[in-house]
Amino acid sequence: MQITLKVNGEARSIDADPDMPLLWALRDFLGLKGAKYGCGIGACGACTVQVNGRAMRACVVPLKSVVGLEIRSIEGLGGGHPVQLAWLEEQVPQCGYCQTGQIMQAVALLEANPRPTAQQIRDGMNGVLCRCGTYPRIEAAVQRAAQSMAPKSEG
Amino acid sequence: MLTRRDFMLGSGALAVAVSLPLRADAATGAQAIPGFLNAYLEISPDGRVRLHSPTTEMGQGTHTGHAVIIADELGVDIERVSVVTAEPADPFRRNGSMGSGGSWGVRYWYEPLRKATAQAREVLIAAGATQMGVAADQCRLKRGEVVHVASNRRLGIGSLTAAAAALPLPENPPLRPKSELRYTGRKVPRVDLAAKVRGEPVFASDIERPGMVYACAVLSPVFGAELDGFERDSVKSVAGVLDVVAIPGGAAVIAAHSWAALQGAEALKIRFKPTPHDGLDSATISRQMRAGLDADAGAIEARKDGDWDAVAKSASRIVRADYEAPYLSHAPMEPWNCTVEIDAGGVVHIWAPVQTQDRNRNAAATAAGVPPEKVRLHTTLLGGGFGRRLGSDGIAAAVVAAQAVKKPVKFFWRREDEFGQGWYRPAQVARLEAALDAEGRVAGLRVRTAGPSMSNSFSPQGLPAGQLDGSSVQTIRESRYKPAAFHVEWVRVDQPVTMAPWRAVGATQNGFFMECFIDEVARAAKRDPYQLRRELLAHDARALNVIDTVAKAAGWGGPLPGGHALGMAFVESYGSLCAEVAEVSLRDGRPFVHRVVCALDCGSIVLPDGVRSQVEGGIVQGLSAAMGEAVGIAEGRAVERNFDTYPLLRITQSPEHIETIIIESGEAMGGVGEPPLPPLAPAVVNALAALTGKPIRELPLSRHTFA
Repeated sequence: MQITLKVNGEARSIDADPDMPLLWALRDFLGLKGAKYGCGIGACGACTVQVNGRAMRACVVPLKSVVGLEIRSIEGLGGGHPVQLAWLEEQVPQCGYCQTGQIMQAVALLEANPRPTAQQIRDGMNGVLCRCGTYPRIEAAVQRAAQSMAPKSEG
Repeated sequence: MLTRRDFMLGSGALAVAVSLPLRADAATGAQAIPGFLNAYLEISPDGRVRLHSPTTEMGQGTHTGHAVIIADELGVDIERVSVVTAEPADPFRRNGSMGSGGSWGVRYWYEPLRKATAQAREVLIAAGATQMGVAADQCRLKRGEVVHVASNRRLGIGSLTAAAAALPLPENPPLRPKSELRYTGRKVPRVDLAAKVRGEPVFASDIERPGMVYACAVLSPVFGAELDGFERDSVKSVAGVLDVVAIPGGAAVIAAHSWAALQGAEALKIRFKPTPHDGLDSATISRQMRAGLDADAGAIEARKDGDWDAVAKSASRIVRADYEAPYLSHAPMEPWNCTVEIDAGGVVHIWAPVQTQDRNRNAAATAAGVPPEKVRLHTTLLGGGFGRRLGSDGIAAAVVAAQAVKKPVKFFWRREDEFGQGWYRPAQVARLEAALDAEGRVAGLRVRTAGPSMSNSFSPQGLPAGQLDGSSVQTIRESRYKPAAFHVEWVRVDQPVTMAPWRAVGATQNGFFMECFIDEVARAAKRDPYQLRRELLAHDARALNVIDTVAKAAGWGGPLPGGHALGMAFVESYGSLCAEVAEVSLRDGRPFVHRVVCALDCGSIVLPDGVRSQVEGGIVQGLSAAMGEAVGIAEGRAVERNFDTYPLLRITQSPEHIETIIIESGEAMGGVGEPPLPPLAPAVVNALAALTGKPIRELPLSRHTFA
């Protein structure tokens, strides 16, 4: 059936099964390849996108549940988002396959909690797996992004 | 070294036709492929340099290492350099085959790439000098321009490639002195990270071809079981499913998109033939391996220094312990996939995440029934490798599916098959014995390992009976410890479970056995394990420096917070010496690693931040394996089939601090991708044993309780 999604600020219509997970709409129907297939059961976080600001595992979110909601994928960050810049400053990725999910998780975390403690960063990022072992740099990059996003007048 | 003739011979298989059409007649000389100065370096008219690298970029950073090497030797800004993995040809082969493994990426290619680049630089300078009407020795190549030093006249290298390519390459070009190297040894941003951080389509799974369909594999969960049959009608009702085709090892559901293919794969009724090992389980494998420890017949000698029997006879004490390590899955985050398109001329194009280009191209050619030259293998960036992509077990089925549907096919495995079809790190057991003299010194060591032969499973030619599989005793056979007697042997106990090299290969389980045993010996002799290692390495200044460095940086012997303990391990692998100290405590009864200090002597380095990144990754992956990873076998198949049951380490379990000390000893350049991993497990286990007083002889730690 015809389904209209709001993706990265644009209305996009596709003809798809309403039970199909959002991940495949993004990847196969809309050509947005940033979110990745990792597990298909919401256990690894490689498919993480934002839905109304919250980090969601797109591989287990059916299309019918996100109609009318604001969907943001890594492509919607534009490349110059402070979290993306922090990721480059800290040279976080190795293979990079999980990193779009890591970045989207970090964006959602910082939007909800702009000044997280180290433990809050770890807890907030815990749902996204990285096999290459970039966790130390992920933690550093989230800290760096938080600092760069903090209002300048503060302190 | 590389000659233009080599280049031309190899050029028929080069990747360049993607952007630069090959001339039909390769005999027309150097200009057959405009812009190429040799097999590696392609220079565009605007002076940008594209390196065709012999290595696969799977996150380890060798593409950036190679970019640094050529940017420095040529004399261009690194921002002007891009890197792709080449297609298989002689200039990219090591020992006759192209692939990335064994931590060879920088240490093997450093000299050949420097020399090839210096050759290119010299002919560019000669061409520029001719054009300016000056002597070549009055010119330098700097920041992408040939500069006549006296007059400061300049010509961009992009305008000189045609003239340069017509000149003979010098046999022994001078290499730049260290003072002229702008990037080597400094922090350089990775060349592949900007695209990865933006989410650009750099992975094989991101490739789209016109008219492409999707093929999801349905494979036997039992190792090696053959397809018996499937019911095509069982997927009829799934919207979007187009067909089901037989492939090696099972079937592929063809569909209009991934979701339909996945649903079809779930719905497909499929049968596999029985195998002799349908009842195989982990307990049986463990029992058979442990029986190997007791059976003297068939033990294959790997090392025999001195006379163990004599040393044991005069020993005041023998310390003995048995250890066991499980099968491990590589679990790269990107499940296996590739995209196959057969063009009108019968050329098979494949975009694939592979670590071995020749092995995969040959497997694809065999499956397609064409010579390897008719297969164009485009290696994408990999969503993790760790050894899993060294094999070629997934490519034939993709080619067969593409031939069957006569359309471009994106072929993929479900995560459950990525686990179930694993080629695992071998399970292995070991018995270690130490003969202590009256002063508590180690007079002798005897090690017997027992388990399946990884090489026999992984190598197409297998391993003949009676021959040693080096990986089964790796790092123990070569250990720098030098007691008066040191015997090492291996008992082969083959299993039907498929195996492949797993990051650091045999050093992972053997490093755990050896280094945990050293600590057990130290406890038995009431000695400090660091001092015991110093004694065993007293003859070896380089090794002593590595363990002294890590001990000092970690504050060995100094005060610690209550409930914390330190553990040390030292493992040499892939040409590098690596020692680590872990600081652990128990949190809610589970181990937590606060800090890891690593000292790595890899001789010399090109990319310091790349080395640090690999040390951090090796430590985290090593901790992941030690904490919770194990592939169990039941009913002839792998039990764990997704991340809900095969627990990779999460960020909350990651060490709070990792300190890396790179030792540039000036010795031969060693590997970096693998050596930091093996010491981690024994360092953590030794710290836990120091904390609790109880030895741990089986991994993973999740199987143990801690009081």
